[in-house]
Amino acid sequence: MTSFPKFSRIGHAGHVNRCLTGLPASQVEAESTRMAVGFYCLGTLDLLGALDSKTTDTDRKNFREWIWEQQTHGPNGSGFRPSPFATPDSLSEQPYGAYNGPHLVMTYTALLTLAILRDDFLRLDRKGLIKFMRSCQKEDGSFSIVPGFGESDLRTIYCAFSICHMLEDWSGIDVPRALNYIETCRSYEGGYGQNSFCEASGGPTYIALASIHLARPSSPLTAGQRSRSIHWLIHNQHSSGGFRGRTGKEADACYSFWCGASLKILDAEDLVDSNAQFIASCQFKYGGIAKTPGHDPDPYHTYLSIAALSLYPPHVPDDESTAVLQSWKFGGLDPLLNATTETVAWIRAHVPSSTTGQEPQ
Amino acid sequence: MTDKPPPPTPYSERPEWSDVTPLAQYEKANPLAPILYTEEYKDATGYLRAVVQSGEKSERVLQLTEHVIRLNPAHYSAWQYRYETVVALDWPLDVEMTLMDELADKFLKTYQVWHHRRLLIMCIGLSAAGRELGYIKQILAQDEKNYHTWSHRQWLLAFFNDEGLWAGELDFIDTMVNRDLRNNSAWHHRFFVVFQSGVREGEEDRERIVRRELVYVKQHISLAPNNASAWNYLRGLLDFNKLPLATITPFVKLYTAPLPAAAKDIVDVDNPPPGQGAELPCVAAVEFLADIREEERNVDEAETLWRSLADELDTIRKKYWEYRIAQARSV
Ligand SMILES: [Zn+2]
Repeated sequence: MTSFPKFSRIGHAGHVNRCLTGLPASQVEAESTRMAVGFYCLGTLDLLGALDSKTTDTDRKNFREWIWEQQTHGPNGSGFRPSPFATPDSLSEQPYGAYNGPHLVMTYTALLTLAILRDDFLRLDRKGLIKFMRSCQKEDGSFSIVPGFGESDLRTIYCAFSICHMLEDWSGIDVPRALNYIETCRSYEGGYGQNSFCEASGGPTYIALASIHLARPSSPLTAGQRSRSIHWLIHNQHSSGGFRGRTGKEADACYSFWCGASLKILDAEDLVDSNAQFIASCQFKYGGIAKTPGHDPDPYHTYLSIAALSLYPPHVPDDESTAVLQSWKFGGLDPLLNATTETVAWIRAHVPSSTTGQEPQ
Repeated sequence: MTDKPPPPTPYSERPEWSDVTPLAQYEKANPLAPILYTEEYKDATGYLRAVVQSGEKSERVLQLTEHVIRLNPAHYSAWQYRYETVVALDWPLDVEMTLMDELADKFLKTYQVWHHRRLLIMCIGLSAAGRELGYIKQILAQDEKNYHTWSHRQWLLAFFNDEGLWAGELDFIDTMVNRDLRNNSAWHHRFFVVFQSGVREGEEDRERIVRRELVYVKQHISLAPNNASAWNYLRGLLDFNKLPLATITPFVKLYTAPLPAAAKDIVDVDNPPPGQGAELPCVAAVEFLADIREEERNVDEAETLWRSLADELDTIRKKYWEYRIAQARSV
């Protein structure tokens, strides 16, 4: 008889802490998305309730300072850079140029990370942020990652919608047009693709459903659409308990979140079987969670796995040891904003325009 | 292939770059997740920041951006600057495309390589599109489900919306499906081409198209009954054309229970039976039949089928099947 495995909380906290300290040269591709790496690492500590024990006050202050250093202002409004990778030392204080401006996805992760770090948001240029989002929106309703350049897909719509939701101000963007774009991404299978007419996939499906529910909570989907989406999502659960991202593919830990959170948003969380055993099998023995058993762990899969467990905590048999039982206890997660309940409460109290009298002009 | 070539001469030691002063990256004392750059990367990006700052657009900038991109294909600013340099120099686009053929192959999973291709193709126009379909086919031969590559194909077809480009798609899909009957990307692409992208010349008779597609998908189910991609295609096809599920009841019933041996000899194009050795009952067929019964308001029979799914055939979705029973009962 096999007993329920233990969830290595300390190991996973150690993994993300090591990444916060530094990434090897082989991960140089992460530099144009470093803000997101920071979010996955600090978000993991937040989900584990380990932020205060694993980082010091000084660490958290330094992280906040670094994130604020990435807030930049210029002709297309204000937002956050992924990292200083395109900004020369001599120009750091000046308005951004054409090639080192803010990035929409990174701006979303910066705001979430600042909330995780309990920042007061007094330095947030809210008006600039609204202008920035407007300058990223394209004719077809989608948003490019930087104004006037770069790929656009459903991710950027979700980021813009999340920011509007956090600010409680949707005035900067054309919501109906963006919703139309999302509609062109809906597939006959019941999921959504990354761009118009593309194959249904777990990540874009979460992004689409969360976006629709953020923007139009009273009438998100028709009954038929909802049941087809549930059908597709629930069929992505593999007999191992893990979820796959597309029909016919293998299970991958990140889809426990993308598909699991989608089902939660659709109010169908009761239909999901536990995916804890699969995630447990993706744990790396020295900490961190990998996409599949035997792979190398990374902060992205570590964060999303724990976020999935927060939505679907397993029913550990009572006769297991206290250590095993305790290892599987998680706090609440807001499936739309993808942050802990406490972090979302912090956002509500500090991010909306009405919460501060110190609006920059 | 095991030995890496030695790093190239640093830009700081190249006489042809002596007129440029590199610009170091701005980095605070306590950065978040800093990357331990190689010396080669630090050197090259220092010069990239400098030329971006001075606004230089020249052939050597093309070499420099290529170098940075090879070290970090996700460096979107390097890509952006490269694209603008290509345009400013009126650089031969066929030369750039040839380089991109190599880079897309190498960095298949990077957004930027595909985005850059897209920009180049929009500059060249329709004449680039035929070649591009061939290139995509070649890439998909190595990685049959690569999401970026399929997306790129869908974008290309929708963007040009040219009869000549569409003409070869069904044959191409056939090749892909024959190679792997369960390639959902290929099935998805078929749905896009046949139903989602408008009605093309010669395809105006939609009833004929629906019949053709029904025959196609049924034949493929008979070859491999446990193929979720084909069953999803079948559902999508009926739904899109507003046909009741019961349109295919006789076909579905062939897959819900083992067949008497004699029945397999009857050749019926509309209802091809499962092949020898097929694993029956087929879970997707049982589910389909339950949906048909629900549609017909025959809840008792639907419930029996859902029960068998919940208790034996598909226990991972037990809660879902029980939910379906409760839903049907509550109507
Ligand atoms: Zn994954």
